[in-house]
Amino acid sequence: MNNKQQSPLKKLLGIRGMGAALTAFVGLIIIYIAFGVINPAVFSGQNILNLLRSMSKYLLIGIAQSYVLITGNIDLSIGSVAGMSAMITATLMVGGMHPVPAILITLLCCLVIGVINGYLVGKFKLPPFIATLGTMFVARGIAYMVNGNRNTDAIATGVGKETGDAFQNFFYYGKTFGVYNTFWIALIVFVIFFFLLSKTRTGRHIYAIGSNVEAAKLSGVNVVATTIKTYLVSAGCACLVGWILCAQAGMGNMEAGNMYEMYGVAAGVIGGVSPLGGTGILLGTFAGAAVWQTLENGLNMIGAQVGIQRVVIGVIVVAAVLLDVVVRNGQFGKRKKKN
Amino acid sequence: MNEVIVSMKDITKSFPGVKALDHVQFELRSGEVMALLGENGAGKSTLMKILSGVYTRDEGTVEIFGKQYDNLTPKQAQEVGVAIIHQELNMCRHLSVTENMFLGREVKGRVSLNNSAMQKEAKRILDDLNMDIDPNQMVGELPVSKQQMVEIAKALSINARVLIMDEPTSALTAKEIEDLFRIIRKLKADGCGIVYISHRLEELAHIVDRVTIMRDGQYITSGSFAEMTMDTIITNMVGREIKEKFPRVACPKGRKVFEVRNLNAGRMVRNINFSVYEGEIVGIAGLMGAGRTETTRAIFGVDPKESGEIYVDGKPVRITCPMDAIKNGVVLAPEDRKKDGLCTKLSIRQNLALPNLDLVCNQFGVINSKKEEALCEKAVKDLLIKTPNVEIDSGNLSGGNQQKVVVGKWLARNSRVVIFDEPTRGIDVGAKVEIYNLMNELKKQGIAVLFVSSEMPEVMGIADRILVMCDGRITGEVLAQETTQNEILKYATAFENKNIQKS
Repeated sequence: MNNKQQSPLKKLLGIRGMGAALTAFVGLIIIYIAFGVINPAVFSGQNILNLLRSMSKYLLIGIAQSYVLITGNIDLSIGSVAGMSAMITATLMVGGMHPVPAILITLLCCLVIGVINGYLVGKFKLPPFIATLGTMFVARGIAYMVNGNRNTDAIATGVGKETGDAFQNFFYYGKTFGVYNTFWIALIVFVIFFFLLSKTRTGRHIYAIGSNVEAAKLSGVNVVATTIKTYLVSAGCACLVGWILCAQAGMGNMEAGNMYEMYGVAAGVIGGVSPLGGTGILLGTFAGAAVWQTLENGLNMIGAQVGIQRVVIGVIVVAAVLLDVVVRNGQFGKRKKKN
Repeated sequence: MNEVIVSMKDITKSFPGVKALDHVQFELRSGEVMALLGENGAGKSTLMKILSGVYTRDEGTVEIFGKQYDNLTPKQAQEVGVAIIHQELNMCRHLSVTENMFLGREVKGRVSLNNSAMQKEAKRILDDLNMDIDPNQMVGELPVSKQQMVEIAKALSINARVLIMDEPTSALTAKEIEDLFRIIRKLKADGCGIVYISHRLEELAHIVDRVTIMRDGQYITSGSFAEMTMDTIITNMVGREIKEKFPRVACPKGRKVFEVRNLNAGRMVRNINFSVYEGEIVGIAGLMGAGRTETTRAIFGVDPKESGEIYVDGKPVRITCPMDAIKNGVVLAPEDRKKDGLCTKLSIRQNLALPNLDLVCNQFGVINSKKEEALCEKAVKDLLIKTPNVEIDSGNLSGGNQQKVVVGKWLARNSRVVIFDEPTRGIDVGAKVEIYNLMNELKKQGIAVLFVSSEMPEVMGIADRILVMCDGRITGEVLAQETTQNEILKYATAFENKNIQKS
């Protein structure tokens, strides 16, 4: 085979899903420059820092959703889980608990939702749309209940100003090497899960399930365990997003993370993760999250109103996927028909 | 009668990188069955897709009923009476037989659909063909053979005069094939022209009048079937002589490798007992629905067992899921490669590595890509998988090569028992022989080989010992070289006395 003589670049391009991811990156650059031409403030250093910070939330929720999408499932509960995470963390801290045990307890609660999702979908074969629709309501309900149907007070009132600031800085306001911590956290999580998905056995199993669950089962893949793992990843990432939202607001908001599950779908899909399963790479999700945030940020900077923003974003998501479908069908139509 | 109804001349069609058809000619007369033969990838399907308007040709002329068509669309083709019945059935499983037959051209009443008229018409056509099918039944509930008949009925309901059948018998049992042939003969008598694509050469003699042979996108020859010997046909198809259709190697029978005792799993697997020895291939024959696939699935741990013990090399093993089976050296290459065997969206490499990740991973589950590549390259080389590289989608391979991937992923590891479920279905003669050779190779290595097949000549030619199943039980055991098709058929139809009502 002539594989070995291929240059590293060619090999990189040969990775399946890389095409869609790179397309999204190209789109990102075009969008960014277009906004920058209209309003040069888009290019300012502070704006770039803000952009990186706010895209981090979308990146994390995108990773969460992509893991599940690649298995051919969906997780509608992650937005609510993020809200639940923000509320539980904030409530515990307002009650005076140190942030470290508070976030650990929160993580545990969120993972329970992940395990439930995993069992419902993997073990009991519920349609993922329905199963996670249910847990979406449950998690949001819990977010309301933890503090008695009210948003929490500022976390500083419980843990004191110093600890409260430390928590907020760690997740949101602080910088390391000149870049907001939020981005570093998201980047580390991204690298870890990128590696897990592309280089490990579990990652391979995730793709196999998304491509053909029967064949995966007959090849000795433990479908139930792998499905549960993907839902654990999504719940865990959603939990992290909850902490970030909590740190950003300095309190718990019952509506935190509203609609985030759909932002996750959008980030993944723009980057080439197919909701039908089996295809897509996290690098695409990275690009997708960046596209999403750049659009939001850019439309804001040029003074577009919220209504217009939504319309534009909606149109771009559909256009991105449509473009992908058209291009791929063109290729497929030609490539497939050998006999 | 017997005027030329389809005439295709100098057809050329290229896809990027491949010349699928190179100046091919084809002719069909009314009232005849024309077999279109060739290996996988010879261009048969492409040619027929041009005739049915799915593809447009690059060069050449297409004439149907004396009229030349330059830009034939599928709708046009349908209107002039060209119907194609695909290998993979295209039916809406959740709609009824009638609804499927009238899909896209429903009969409308004044306000709503005129269901009774459609049902009456459907019933008329089905009765006309002596098909025992209830027009109100959901298509998904019918067995594959009946579904196929519904497709034929559908084609006839639009007055098809040219009927293209792509591998129509690959999923049918002997009895159902007989039914299909009866219908084909009737259509022939009515003056339809039928193009018949099949890899099962032995069945041609029953219905075919003429043959057209293609190879590598080129027209090779055509002529009356009666004037050609089977050897000429095969030589023309393959382009080389195949010495033995069923190569057999003799091995001394050794120790007992595999034993199944009292296996029960649902109605289709009842009290199964058998063993396999070193140096032999055990075939499992039977009609469709005899419980063969169910048995292999129960052994492999895909479906739950009610009872039964399994022994590998004399030691009892517990198998409750495929993972257990693989760990204990029992592997299964499943029947339906698109449904059970392959992740078609993944590359050949990923498919080959999937069940062998434990061999190429370190203790943390991280894949060693060098080891993985080595494993894949070896498999591609050993199995002669024809592909430019291992990174292309396995779904883009031809049937024979897909099957080799399904089989190949299990040969990379050292197993003790390899179960092949219909490994040669829908693949060409050359690829079949390669699969047989592979089984023989395993046999020589002392690995227990179980070979499930519906094609009697092949079981009799390759297996050493044959277990015959009927209705979920093993009804007979014969030695391949001493038995006859009739004897096997006798066991395969040894149904229990059916006084008890079927539930």
